[in-house]
Amino acid sequence: MTVARSGLLLFGALAALSVGCGGKRPATTPVDRGQSLIVLLPDPETDKVGRANVWNKAGSADLDGERKAVVTSDQQMGPVKKLSDDEVERLFGAALAALPPEPRSFTLYFEFESDDLTDQSVKLVPEILTVVKQRSDPEVAVVGHTDTMGSSKANVALAMKRAVFVGRLLVDAGLDKTTIELVSHGEAALLIPTPDETPEPRNRRVEITVR
Amino acid sequence: MRIGMFAAVIVLVCAVSTPAFAQTPAGRIKTVSGAAFIVRAGKTIAAVPGQPVFASDHLRTGNDGTLGVTLKDATRLSLGPASELRVERFVYAPESGGLSMVIKFVRGAAAYVSGRIAKLAPDAVRLETPSAIVGVRGTTVAVLVEP
Repeated sequence: MTVARSGLLLFGALAALSVGCGGKRPATTPVDRGQSLIVLLPDPETDKVGRANVWNKAGSADLDGERKAVVTSDQQMGPVKKLSDDEVERLFGAALAALPPEPRSFTLYFEFESDDLTDQSVKLVPEILTVVKQRSDPEVAVVGHTDTMGSSKANVALAMKRAVFVGRLLVDAGLDKTTIELVSHGEAALLIPTPDETPEPRNRRVEITVR
Repeated sequence: MRIGMFAAVIVLVCAVSTPAFAQTPAGRIKTVSGAAFIVRAGKTIAAVPGQPVFASDHLRTGNDGTLGVTLKDATRLSLGPASELRVERFVYAPESGGLSMVIKFVRGAAAYVSGRIAKLAPDAVRLETPSAIVGVRGTTVAVLVEP
């Protein structure tokens, strides 16, 4: 009963939108007072579509495809519908256009138990600077990591040493130091999960995220 | 050499600290057009790109405004005109296992693009509207709320 009703509401609202006539409701509001519309969209850069699950007291709904949408209210969990591209653009065009640029991540790798970068990683530095310069308000997070060789305490220090090393490298290459944030994750955020005391070159890294 | 490196740490850490707030920012305003505001502790501040955003801040736009934010874990949020959301909770400390994000959509149109927290711990991300809770699996979601 409640599901059918909210389904009708959604359908009615979208039908009104698609013929460009809002009826009693303004054309920009396909939801009534107390209602929310949730829609799954493709990733703005990769076009990949994930999944979302919506729930409340009345039930739950799985959004498992592009533009799948559901209208909810306190007492209702509407059926899943698919919005058209036009409807998404009309309802969310302004919000989507205001999304900040995609954060970009780079990983630099280190030689064993050292703060020397591998040659391949050194070559990434100019590219990182190019990405930073394309942004009006760049933030650069420099996060140091180690593998599980040695104590976790020593690895926090080693990972920070790596972050500092890369931070200086970026500043020397021309990056404004006020944009940089140095962080150590020690051995707590392994890229490749391993047991303790396992040498793993891919875990000896600094991740740089430009936001 | 060691002292030089240590000094570099201090300089860099100081450069990004925000003395006015003991709390570290959850993210920063990145895009603004028209009227857009941060509401913090009851005070309304005009939003400008580069401004820090803290957990428990409300973000609000006027009838001609839009706004975009990037959080520290690379989550992106944006608002269309006449819209509002609250960054209810934001914890991003992977080294200690602290990962948690709650975003409340209060009214109007908003978009969410997932970041690291959703990747590392999908269940740690919760998007709330007044009438539903949304769990995400590494994805983009848009929400329209009529309060």
